[in-house]
Amino acid sequence: MDWKLWEPLIEFARKRSLWIVSFCTGCGGIEMPPLMTSRYDLERFGMMPNPAPRMADLFLITGYVTPKTLKRIIITYEMQPDPKYVIAHGSCTINGGIYWDAYNAIKRLDAYIPVDVYIAGCMPRPESVMEGINKMMEMIENGTADSWKRYKENYEWYKKNQDELFGEGWREREAKRWIPWIMDDLKRVEKEREKND
Amino acid sequence: MFEVALKALFLLLYATFVGFIFMGIIRKVSARIHRRVGPPLYQPILDTIKLLSKKSNITHGLIYDFGIIYALGATILALFFIPIGSVSILRAYGDLILITFLLEIPMLGIMFAAMSSGNPWAGLGAQRALLTLLAIQVPLGFAIVALAEFYGTFSTYQIVMAQQVSGWSITHVSLLLAAIAYDIVLQAMFGKEPFDIMIAPGEISLGPMVEFGGKHMGILQIQHAIALFAETLFFSNIFLGGAVVTIFASPVLNTIASLGILLIKQIAVLMVAIFIGNIFPRFTIDQAAKFYWKWPTIIAALGAVLASL
Repeated sequence: MDWKLWEPLIEFARKRSLWIVSFCTGCGGIEMPPLMTSRYDLERFGMMPNPAPRMADLFLITGYVTPKTLKRIIITYEMQPDPKYVIAHGSCTINGGIYWDAYNAIKRLDAYIPVDVYIAGCMPRPESVMEGINKMMEMIENGTADSWKRYKENYEWYKKNQDELFGEGWREREAKRWIPWIMDDLKRVEKEREKND
Repeated sequence: MFEVALKALFLLLYATFVGFIFMGIIRKVSARIHRRVGPPLYQPILDTIKLLSKKSNITHGLIYDFGIIYALGATILALFFIPIGSVSILRAYGDLILITFLLEIPMLGIMFAAMSSGNPWAGLGAQRALLTLLAIQVPLGFAIVALAEFYGTFSTYQIVMAQQVSGWSITHVSLLLAAIAYDIVLQAMFGKEPFDIMIAPGEISLGPMVEFGGKHMGILQIQHAIALFAETLFFSNIFLGGAVVTIFASPVLNTIASLGILLIKQIAVLMVAIFIGNIFPRFTIDQAAKFYWKWPTIIAALGAVLASL
């Protein structure tokens, strides 16, 4: 079947039903509830906060990103199905903001995951977030919101940057990080049981 | 044969469309209760189009795909057994027990898919959903027994016809009690607020839905729309008198009138669910099980005893 004919309808649906994954990093998380509640109601545009990354389209990165959070952000971003968009929200995601000389804050988010729209401010007002979302909708409509394509095409570059920051094989290391702790705990419990017996 | 297929197609399209509008009504009315503007009524249709048009999709194996299709198929089958005015296809076989059973099967399909995804949140949600399913059986069974005792038949269509003669079910005290118990059960069957323990957004991520994305979630949205339509339709058939209109000369006008009357009754059932859902917080799973085995069971059992006197 030729889907070309349906493309305008699909683009309209993508534009008008952006589901946000509720991943609130840093202080920008406090700007999300006012957007969703009765004063600046974002559900008018069909947006919905969603706790599951598998259903989400829009990823709002709200505030400074530490390397520890960035690992989770990358994993969450890669879990989303494909037409997915990123809005970086606040000054800290643009150039580090007030954490410009912090050893533990990411200065340029764009080097690790692709970003469609930046919203400057510290914190941005809900109106300016809505302005950014409006811009995002325009970009989806005219097809310039292609960050997910960029991530696929330039994956080597993004992966190189991620590996430079975290070291090679960080996913496995991160997953196995808790195993020694759990094993220690198990051993301790075992010892206590032997003592009690 | 051809006519039956055409009727089935019409019924399916009508149920899907009205179900989506019902989902929109739920979101719109909830928004108005929160003093928000809320999304447009056709919002769930846009959501479904978007979910079905995702470019990448994940799967966790055969059961993961099969469970979704199984849930959708069971819902469609349940829909065909319920008498809807004069359009229904299998209404002669529309047994009360069969329909209540078929309305719970989709949950099992979703559970299959969720459990095979291997996500711990999905497993937790599946456990909670199965316990809720177990808890609602007792009042549901008593309500069905009360109906069958009162009318002396299990056939849904005969119950609808009997109500044309003797007035709506809820005008009789024993069946009013059964209807109250069934309405409390409906809250869990819709997955609305006091008993939305299996989905529990925020508490356990999304429960069974956590791993569904893209096309799987799109099919689940369609399933949810048809299930909403079927459950409200079943309730308005057995308790609110259904609709068999014969005042017009032309059968088409009669059909449209009965569909309209049914729609009003279904929306009334839905509104009660939305209002209750928006003002009560969520129960924990042990509270819900205790609740269902206590008050709705007592009410429905009283109804069943009164009906058999």
